[in-house]
Amino acid sequence: MAEHLPQTPSAPAASAPYRRSEQLTPPPAVPVSEVAQTTFEHVYEVDPRLMQQHVLQQVFPNWDTLRIMRSRADHLQWMHQHFASTVISGSEILAEVEAEAAPAGQPLR
Amino acid sequence: MTATAEPMGTTPLGNRPLEPARLDALVQALRTVLADDQILTNKTDRYNRARVPAPFPVHRWSERLPDLAVLPTSTEQVAQIVRIANEMRIPVVPRDGGTGLTDGAVPMRGGIVVDVKRMNQIHEIDLVNRTVTVGTGISMLKLNERLAQHGLFYPDDPASYPCSLVGGRIGTSGWSLIGSRYGHTRDLVLSFDHVLPTGDILHVGDGIGGKISKSSSGFQMKHLFMGHQGTLGIATKATLKLFPKPEAELSPFWAFDNYDDAYACTGALARAGVATFAGAVLFDEYKVAYLRRDDEAYIPQPGDVRALVCSVMYGYEDEVRAGGKRLFRIAKEHGARYLGDEISEGDWAARHDRYATPLHGRTKDGQVIPMSWHCEDAAVNYANVPAVSKAWHEIIARLRRKSDVFDDWGMFAYTSANTGVDYLTEIDVGIWEQRLDDAAWAAWVDAKREIAAVAIAHNASMSACHGSCREGEVDLLPEELGRGFDVMLDVKRALDPNNIMNPGKYLLDGAYDNACEGTSRG
Ligand SMILES: Cc1cc2nc3c(=O)[nH]c(=O)nc-3n(C[C@H](O)[C@H](O)[C@H](O)COP(=O)(O)OP(=O)(O)OC[C@H]3O[C@@H](n4cnc5c(N)ncnc54)[C@H](O)[C@@H]3O)c2cc1C
Repeated sequence: MAEHLPQTPSAPAASAPYRRSEQLTPPPAVPVSEVAQTTFEHVYEVDPRLMQQHVLQQVFPNWDTLRIMRSRADHLQWMHQHFASTVISGSEILAEVEAEAAPAGQPLR
Repeated sequence: MTATAEPMGTTPLGNRPLEPARLDALVQALRTVLADDQILTNKTDRYNRARVPAPFPVHRWSERLPDLAVLPTSTEQVAQIVRIANEMRIPVVPRDGGTGLTDGAVPMRGGIVVDVKRMNQIHEIDLVNRTVTVGTGISMLKLNERLAQHGLFYPDDPASYPCSLVGGRIGTSGWSLIGSRYGHTRDLVLSFDHVLPTGDILHVGDGIGGKISKSSSGFQMKHLFMGHQGTLGIATKATLKLFPKPEAELSPFWAFDNYDDAYACTGALARAGVATFAGAVLFDEYKVAYLRRDDEAYIPQPGDVRALVCSVMYGYEDEVRAGGKRLFRIAKEHGARYLGDEISEGDWAARHDRYATPLHGRTKDGQVIPMSWHCEDAAVNYANVPAVSKAWHEIIARLRRKSDVFDDWGMFAYTSANTGVDYLTEIDVGIWEQRLDDAAWAAWVDAKREIAAVAIAHNASMSACHGSCREGEVDLLPEELGRGFDVMLDVKRALDPNNIMNPGKYLLDGAYDNACEGTSRG
């Protein structure tokens, strides 16, 4: 199934000066599950130990990793606009439902 | 034009390339109808038009090449090409986007691939009657870009939305992600021009066709000429029903700590009768486990997330908000946990384009392997979804115990209608194509047959969505359709006396006396 990333990852802007060594040094990987780790915010990778036999992990410069993630975000944004003029946020609807369910005078959770 | 004088119904069924002299004669005949750049004989053009997304026995790929491809630009050209093919007894395979998942556009006996992509014009936008008339080579995405300028929308939305085309949607009688609100391809296509296997042109629709959505005049032929996988001819120009472009979209995703509650919730959402309801989807434990490996949204989810439900609504903002509140209340009553706006909105937007799937799986010891995606689908009544799901996972588990070539990527069940009567139920399976050989392929075909048999045993149809043309499921078609299968054979023989239209599909070769012949066409 597809990965997706609604939010644009936060990282240096495309206009920042290009330094090769910097580009090949991603933020330190933090394990997030038994099979995955994260580097930039919202960027997940397969645990490198699982990519040693049949498919080897490739080195991506940071700009390319971020470009892929940003393109994905653009693509999703485009899809929303293509299908409807507005996206209604579920959390707003949930808040309304919870407010109606809460006994009068009780604060919202 | 060179025409052979073989008697009707005796098209030999070989799959070897045409002999050079016949190929030359065919090209000469086609040149009387088409310009040179509309006749493609080189390898790249032919190889590209043999490709399909679902894995097939790649080690036997060269058996499924066309002798040439053509790019007609009008119904009349298509009709003339088909007439030539019929006279020369050369197979014709209609092809649109080539995204079909049941090998419908794959040439089984060589011949001519009729690629309709140049027939992608918008012929008329009728703002008064709310219809559009298009060439069948247009994609829904491109069409909707134009329609948006008028605030209009053609809501046929498969998960191959950017690259499947209107003609392929007709050829497969496609299923739409938002079909519970707007209907599926068969409901959205009003009528179309269609070239029969003899080259005659027929206008298909309800009664007189055109822009009529309901007629009681004569046989209802529209359904017959949809979903035939190109075996009854080629749709060239279609008139489609239009809707206002939705003002608002809402697509909540909810997490559950067990499958049973998620299943009950999905049923309740679908049965609620909310007018803007466009679909509800249930993702099972296996799907959640699969998403936890590779999907950014689900990797960080807590361990007690074991099943997911998504619902989607489209319409005017006020009605979507009102309907949304009702659906949120139902979800809450079933113990749902809202997954947040970011996942809900992002995951839904990603569903219109499942070509973005990460094409890799895992060996049993967890190593990443390159895999292609395959899915088996059925139309299952709500009450039977859990039993079918359980049986299907057992089949894939047996397969996986035998070999790392197969990986269970989980299942989903997706409403087909706005009442919750039946669900497109799909199991996704990763296949390590580089390791496919005859033995692995045979094991896969056996598993497919078992999967289809489970569906039929539960009064389900073997396919809600993709068609049931491939080895493994097609064997059970006579069982599913009963006497209806004999009617299929009769119709095929009557409309395609020489079996030139996409031969080798749907067991329709059985309509002809020489069904078992394997001789060359050369
Ligand atoms: C990632 C992905 C997601 C998908 N999701 C969905 C989904 O949600 N819903 C769904 O229904 N399908 C889905 N599919 C399957 C596929 O996209 C559909 O079956 C689609 O309708 C095929 O359209 P196409 O233009 O690619 O047709 P093709 O693959 O070119 O052809 C499909 C069949 O129709 C015949 N055909 C082609 N053109 C014509 C014509 N002009 N006249 C008559 N017959 C013709 C062909 O011979 C073939 O048998 C998906 C496929 C992929 C790869």
